[in-house]
Amino acid sequence: MNFSKKNHEHITKNSNSMSKTIKLLIVVALFVGFASCSDDDDDPTPLVEVKSESIVNLHAPVEGGSQQGAPTFSGEFTKFDFATGTTTTSDTEWDIAFRGLSIIVNGGTSAGAVDEPERTKEASGYITSGTLASVTEVNTSLLKEDSNEGYVLGDWYTYAGDPTHLINPTPGKILVVKTRTGNYAKMEILSYYKDAPAEPDAFTDESPYFTFNYVYQPNDGVTTF
Amino acid sequence: MSKKHIFTLLSLFFTFLVSSQEENPTTKDSVKIENLEEIIVTATRTFRQLSSLPLPAQIISQKDIQRSNSVRLNNILNEQTGLITIPDFGGSKGIQMQGLDGAYTLILVDGVPLVGRLAGTLDISRITVGNIKQIEVVRGASSSLYGSEALGGVINIITETPKNGFHGNLNYRISSFNTHDLGTTLSYKKDKLGISTFFNRYSSDGYSLTDRNELSTVDPFRNYTINPKLTYKFSNRTDLIVAGKYYNQKQDYVASSLLKGETKIEDWNTHIKLNNKYSDTWSSYFEFYATQYNANEYLDDANSTSATDAFYKQLLVRPEIRATYNPNDKSSFIAGTGFNNETLDRTDFSEKPVYNSPYAYLQYDGNPTENINIILGARFDGHSEYKSQFSPKVALRYGVNDKLALKGSIGYGFKAPDFRQLYFNFTNATIGYTLLGYNAAPDAIKALDEQGQLAIISISLDQFDSELKPENSVSIDLGFDYKISTTLKLDLNLFRNNIDDLIDNKIVATKTNGQSVFSYFNINKVYTQGSEFNITWRPDNQLKITGGYQLLYAKDKDAEKAFKNGEVFARVDASSPSFQLKKDDYFGLFNRSRHMANLKVFYNIPEWNMDTNIRGTYRSKYGLNDKNGNSYLDSYDDFVDGYAIVNVAVNKTIYKNYRLGLGIDNIFDFTDPQNIGNIPGRILYAKLNIQL
Repeated sequence: MNFSKKNHEHITKNSNSMSKTIKLLIVVALFVGFASCSDDDDDPTPLVEVKSESIVNLHAPVEGGSQQGAPTFSGEFTKFDFATGTTTTSDTEWDIAFRGLSIIVNGGTSAGAVDEPERTKEASGYITSGTLASVTEVNTSLLKEDSNEGYVLGDWYTYAGDPTHLINPTPGKILVVKTRTGNYAKMEILSYYKDAPAEPDAFTDESPYFTFNYVYQPNDGVTTF
Repeated sequence: MSKKHIFTLLSLFFTFLVSSQEENPTTKDSVKIENLEEIIVTATRTFRQLSSLPLPAQIISQKDIQRSNSVRLNNILNEQTGLITIPDFGGSKGIQMQGLDGAYTLILVDGVPLVGRLAGTLDISRITVGNIKQIEVVRGASSSLYGSEALGGVINIITETPKNGFHGNLNYRISSFNTHDLGTTLSYKKDKLGISTFFNRYSSDGYSLTDRNELSTVDPFRNYTINPKLTYKFSNRTDLIVAGKYYNQKQDYVASSLLKGETKIEDWNTHIKLNNKYSDTWSSYFEFYATQYNANEYLDDANSTSATDAFYKQLLVRPEIRATYNPNDKSSFIAGTGFNNETLDRTDFSEKPVYNSPYAYLQYDGNPTENINIILGARFDGHSEYKSQFSPKVALRYGVNDKLALKGSIGYGFKAPDFRQLYFNFTNATIGYTLLGYNAAPDAIKALDEQGQLAIISISLDQFDSELKPENSVSIDLGFDYKISTTLKLDLNLFRNNIDDLIDNKIVATKTNGQSVFSYFNINKVYTQGSEFNITWRPDNQLKITGGYQLLYAKDKDAEKAFKNGEVFARVDASSPSFQLKKDDYFGLFNRSRHMANLKVFYNIPEWNMDTNIRGTYRSKYGLNDKNGNSYLDSYDDFVDGYAIVNVAVNKTIYKNYRLGLGIDNIFDFTDPQNIGNIPGRILYAKLNIQL
């Protein structure tokens, strides 16, 4: 596996992102605290706690993108499974997949890119404005599958252009996903560069390495976080 | 005031200008200076006393230009209240006025416009100040007289005309970075005929703010300006002016260690004006103007194979006729009609576009009572390629007493979509995106689609059916002039420009290569508002102190709404979680400083035949980039720190006809290599002026 997975129960040994991890842990702890409180107050039936996780350096290499006229990207997508919180090579048991700037869901039809995996399930998603904490409920009417009109999770970044050429995850874009099993997850992408540097440099920092926070709702059909 | 009086004043003014150059500083003539009125033509297209205008206007005198030892137009404009030179991405230096970009200020020379706005901005550093009589600046939308581009205001450069007898001067200035400015004027006038020629050569090795690599911030260049003029007085009623101008610049163009080339600019114009006075009340002007701007740019790689080769060739031809009617002392009318024919031949254009635009305007300028001056004006611009425009303007001045006058004006301004926004058909060779002009888009999109290059067309093509609207603005100025005493005066102007239909590009299709196709649309609405304040203190003929300040708020209306509705987010650093921004976190448009100020002290020392001055300008912090990717400039973005520039100059006259100047521009050697490319650091110079 080419990325390290961390959640609030484990302390990572990855010294590179140690301070970042601590920051994330605080944020994560806050979510968990918030989520568990409301669970206690509102709902007598014991539900499984939502999982707040951080993924660091999910490598999503892309080939091609030649400098000539019509670049064609190729290469295998890196697939991700929310339930286990890991990448997977399974042809069917994945929720979303990454390659370069592209993020696809396991549902719908291909937009025609080379080497896209076959979508075997009915995962869907949408992008909304907010912070990871402020998105507390899924608006199921917005959920869409990928189609020939584009990827539903495509518009997550801003290209800075000259002179920095940086790819920055657009602040306030929260990706909401209905997984292949019908559970819900919300995620915020934090960085496109290896080790999520605070001051990335598009010329020296390696990409694409996704770092993101997400919250997974393991209870079937529950649309709140 | 009758026309005769105005002409008397005008000639007095000219005489003053002439004599002030040769003025023996030992004579004490302070009273004379105070009593002379400055005359401005830009505000009304008639000769008007500056102090009696209902509009915010300013004159920069030849004397101040000479005392400051300025070389190019941007040097002197930069020291005026609320004006600042902003380089665009191509390096063209445009002037920001009332918070509007350089693209929205009309630049005229002797009342006719310069062309060559490659990316919207007119590079004012291509104008030498060597033969300028005065610079007139009118703030606020003025399309009622001038048509397109006069949104922020109008800057009119008035050049010298031949005066009686033989005159000549020679100027030479040498300064840091091996910069040389050589200028000479020769003029002769006898009886009916006047001839003059102005010549200027300006060259520099350029400079490099970073020593990281071999790329310069400004590459070496040299340019020539030749400006002949002929005046002929057929009779007391009829006179003719024929003027021409030729400008040529060559500049190295180094894109990398392997890609090198040259940029060449050639610019010429012809201006013929025939004035005829039929009676005391009627006169007419026939004007013919033609100008061409050529730019060529190439890059060759290490094997001398051509890498890029771009050209730009714009031609404007404009005949205009206007008439003035002065039925009595209290009112005057001016009416004009003309025709613009404009063509452009440019790399990456879908066709060779032609603009045809007939226009007509009418203006009433009257004094219904002694204390009230009113100006009513309107202009109609027809156009072949975009929506026709009607531009009205009203201005009112009320003289409360000898000391205080209130002024107010409201006007409409517009800027025609430029050729690029209508006819571009450009595909980036390395990245693969495509940018299409609005008029070129429907056909180009169909063509791309037929070639199978498009994955998604995200808009319906009938959106292109209606004509693209010019960017337009309604501007309001309110202010007062207050003459506290004969030595102290101040003025304040509050302004607001509501700008609508700003043209920007948006995605119209996605290509199969994953890149986008963009085209231009009327999208943004912005406003700029603030105040301009000037104070002048002139205790005697030896000392003049002026101060100026501008407060500016420049904001996008949709951005304001988005912040108010909590739709905007930011991160503390590039990879931390995002959080919601508050209304107050919106800073405004890029490259606008909230505060700009200047302070100038001019001091004469007659005993030593010397004059000296110190001029300082300040601009507060501003933002250049949206660092955190939310597309707005907010308080969590990086800002360019505020800075001050101080210039000093000392001039001494020797043997009456020789004048020696020494000075330092940017005495504290301020630079900001990362953010500000047009401030090269400290410049030392020496200047010699010889009157022949």
